[in-house]
Amino acid sequence: MSGTPLLALTGLAVRYGNVQALRELDLEMHPGELVALLGSNGAGKSTTLRAISRLVRPSAGGITWRGRPLARASTEGTVRLGIGHCPEGRRVLARQSVATNLELGAYLRRDRQGIRADLERCYERFPRLAERRGQRAGSLSGGEQQMLAIARSLMGRPELLLLDEPSLGLAPKLVAEVMAILAELRRDGLTILLVEQNALAALAIADRGVVLEAGSVSLRGSAAELLANDALRASYLG
Amino acid sequence: MSGLSLLVQMGLAALLALSVSLPLRCGQLSLATPGFYAIGGYVAALLSTRWQALGGAAATYPLPSLLLEMGVAALVAGAVALLVGRPVLQLRGIYLAIATIALVEMLRVLNLNLEWSGGAVGIFAIPQPFAGPGGYLAFTVLLLAAWCWICARLDRMRLGRAMAAIREDELAARCMGIATTEVKLTAFVLSAVIAALAGVVAAHFLNTWNARQGSFDASITTLAFVVFGGSRTWLGPVVGGLVLTALPELLRPVGDLRLIVFGLVILIGPALFPQGLITPERLDWLGRAWKSQGR
Repeated sequence: MSGTPLLALTGLAVRYGNVQALRELDLEMHPGELVALLGSNGAGKSTTLRAISRLVRPSAGGITWRGRPLARASTEGTVRLGIGHCPEGRRVLARQSVATNLELGAYLRRDRQGIRADLERCYERFPRLAERRGQRAGSLSGGEQQMLAIARSLMGRPELLLLDEPSLGLAPKLVAEVMAILAELRRDGLTILLVEQNALAALAIADRGVVLEAGSVSLRGSAAELLANDALRASYLG
Repeated sequence: MSGLSLLVQMGLAALLALSVSLPLRCGQLSLATPGFYAIGGYVAALLSTRWQALGGAAATYPLPSLLLEMGVAALVAGAVALLVGRPVLQLRGIYLAIATIALVEMLRVLNLNLEWSGGAVGIFAIPQPFAGPGGYLAFTVLLLAAWCWICARLDRMRLGRAMAAIREDELAARCMGIATTEVKLTAFVLSAVIAALAGVVAAHFLNTWNARQGSFDASITTLAFVVFGGSRTWLGPVVGGLVLTALPELLRPVGDLRLIVFGLVILIGPALFPQGLITPERLDWLGRAWKSQGR
């Protein structure tokens, strides 16, 4: 790959009190790439996403967006720059309608017409959300809520989507559905950093993968290489 | 207490309830309202009794002076809220509640001991802008209507929707790009301004102002208005403030039992209606029933 990366992490480290959650992570993401960030519980995957969207302050290392440091940005600032963070556990606003959730995803945008057009596009992409647009988000099934969470992040028109465990708690059929949508988004040019415990599902659609173990990178490579790696197969793919 | 005076008290209570409900709309349990109410009252009491020029020549205190006091009170309370809010709003839940109670108590002790606030005696003979309770009532109703309108508008404004999002899930709200700290601070400042404006009217209405006006008791009472009425709509706190202020007076015929009945209402209300008397769902239902009736 050539040119300035969209996102670059250099020696990124995060600690929560005495716990070193993430150490020395280097990662570059180029436009249009889908990178899978893999590892077991507590490996530092979510922490990486939280550091990028400035929900936590890194203890060391740097993050650059299009070559410019993000050190002083707020979370709001990163959203403005084009970094969308779809947090773990869906976190839809259960009491609000599907439509309101989606509109809130476009909170920082002022172009009413663009928002309306994106809303229509979103209902085309997720027909089940269109059927339930007036319903409370809390009444949706787990899979539908995950779709809503992704759709809501897209309403902010991100260039980079940070996606945290979209397969969590979903039946295999729904996992496949979610992954198919991510593959489609990638084809449309969206750059995606996908955190997953379900390594097999993630690597099936990813360009590259990075495996974290206890806060450090234990393995990285193209999706094909990782899928062929015996150690990885043994520990994550079963 | 005359009927009109009771209505004025009810209106002021409704304003204080709105003040408590604004931070709650973004999930912040702030009990600072009586503190800002006290600030408003002191601003009014001090300006109107110490600054002769405001008094004018007429028998009643001029209305423009009252409006000027309200402006000053809003500015002072807003500035204090801005100053205190940033560190205090880092706290959550019960910790925020305690910190705001501490603020109210600090203001009370300061006012009790400072020379210029009249010490324990307070400030007397606050001039009257209206000849009787009727004028106060009209003014309070106008003020309440204005704030009801603003709070109702909030539901359809970005600020109001951001507040609702923060209340439901602050992390999700941040991920949407909502500047949660600023939104919470705005709600806190608005809350302070409402309370201070109510304090200005109350100081004139009561004719006297002292440190007892902003106390821990008042924190709990104003919170009860909101819990009873329901905090998810603007109407809930208003109804809570009106009803719970009227109730002890309406219960006078039952004599000493009234406090027990009042206590029971406060106890049973939230037990039967955990989200308060008025919720958006109940309002929707009422609205639909109303429409079908009309046809």
